[in-house]
Amino acid sequence: MDVWQQFIILLEGVPLTLSISIFSFLIGIVVGLPLAFIRVYEKEISFVVDAYEKIFRGVPEIVLLLLFFFGLRPFFPFPFGNAFFVACFVLGLRSAANQSQIYRGAIRGVGDEQMIAGMSVGFSKWRAIWYIMIPQVFNFSTSGLGSEYALLIKDSAYVYVIGLAEVMTRSLQLAKSGPGDYVTPFVLGAAIYIALTFPFAFWLDKWGNKRKKKIGL
Amino acid sequence: MADFVMEARNVYKTYSIKKIKKGDAACNVPVKHQVEAVKNVSLQIRKGDIKLIFGPSGSGKSTFLRCMAMLDIPDKGEIYLGDECLTAPGADLNKARARIGFVFQHIYLFRHLTALGNVELALRQVLKLPKEEARKRALDALNEVKVSDCINKYPAQMSGGQAQRVGIARAIARNPDIILLDEPTSALDPELTGEVIDTLRDLAKEGTTMLIVSHEMPFAREVAEEMIFYDEGKVVETGPPSLFFNAPNTDRAKQFMTRIINRTTRE
Repeated sequence: MDVWQQFIILLEGVPLTLSISIFSFLIGIVVGLPLAFIRVYEKEISFVVDAYEKIFRGVPEIVLLLLFFFGLRPFFPFPFGNAFFVACFVLGLRSAANQSQIYRGAIRGVGDEQMIAGMSVGFSKWRAIWYIMIPQVFNFSTSGLGSEYALLIKDSAYVYVIGLAEVMTRSLQLAKSGPGDYVTPFVLGAAIYIALTFPFAFWLDKWGNKRKKKIGL
Repeated sequence: MADFVMEARNVYKTYSIKKIKKGDAACNVPVKHQVEAVKNVSLQIRKGDIKLIFGPSGSGKSTFLRCMAMLDIPDKGEIYLGDECLTAPGADLNKARARIGFVFQHIYLFRHLTALGNVELALRQVLKLPKEEARKRALDALNEVKVSDCINKYPAQMSGGQAQRVGIARAIARNPDIILLDEPTSALDPELTGEVIDTLRDLAKEGTTMLIVSHEMPFAREVAEEMIFYDEGKVVETGPPSLFFNAPNTDRAKQFMTRIINRTTRE
């Protein structure tokens, strides 16, 4: 099999790698934002968030993937029987723990004054968060989110352990099936991962700088 | 029907700040330090009143004003907005704050919104006005403070005076029962101060109920019905401007007025 053929086989794994990363990223936003605001503004229950973050940041993804997929599948075939779901679920919740920390810094950057100004016009705490804090939080977290996204693209490689045919799984199969060529498939895979990570992080950083200029930071 | 638009009864507020105490060698120890910013302060405001609080910086004027809007919760005492006791447990503070306009010393416009967006947001999302009406009222308010030329500018693109007038527009657009202004001009340079003072003068002419923390003495003399001299967390002396500008009763007020008037004439 020539290099080009191998490359095509790997490319066919890109949609899966991308969709796992993007879904996980989105889950990370949706779960991570509330976690961050709870830690900053609901001090009484922030210990729960703290525990959550410690667990998801402290346990290797590969352990979590195996645990949720093979551990929970017998008891909850739906949804844990679905490898794609488990991949997004685990990587998403792990990302939420990371993103929560990114947003916490960003909330400090936006500043408590914005929150007070929001409450002064009649918003409740959580509605001020929604209308005033969240739109500004992203301006302060673009560089952190860029590297978080890169991390997700890379970590999506771990899902080969639950048998999803994404880029890493395909590299591994090519390496095993070929006549002892372990270099080509993995170099090609590495190139694909680099191509997937950087453009988005770059664009996000640019967008963030533009936004920051607009609001005068 | 309550007599007062707003009333504070025996309000107390203490807060603790962490001061860094320089220790031996390289260890700086944070020490908790209690500040009694408001000690047994009472105040009544009738409809159409314009009252002005002044006094040395750090005396707790701003904290008291924030207590009035329940942006800081008083430790003791009651705040009434009309008949409603805001310090009672279960009071709907969000609803109450929607009826109080608050103008900040450092302006605090929503940085991600244009001038129009800043004024419109609460009309749409707090008062739940339909889109058209919210827009109309926001434009009216911006017009009133004479910033209709920068409705589509972001706070970062405005001058301090424009931004503060947008801040005032944001406060008045909801037709609040009262407007609380916390040193609205002290963060601005003298030229811009004039614009904002003109706006406040216009509001005063329209009979807007206002409680203002300010050191703008000529303005105070012109519009205030009552001036309140505030020092070390207490109301030291209360009276019409004529009292303070001629002969205040307390030595502390006399001292402060002399200093302020000297400063103004020197400029």
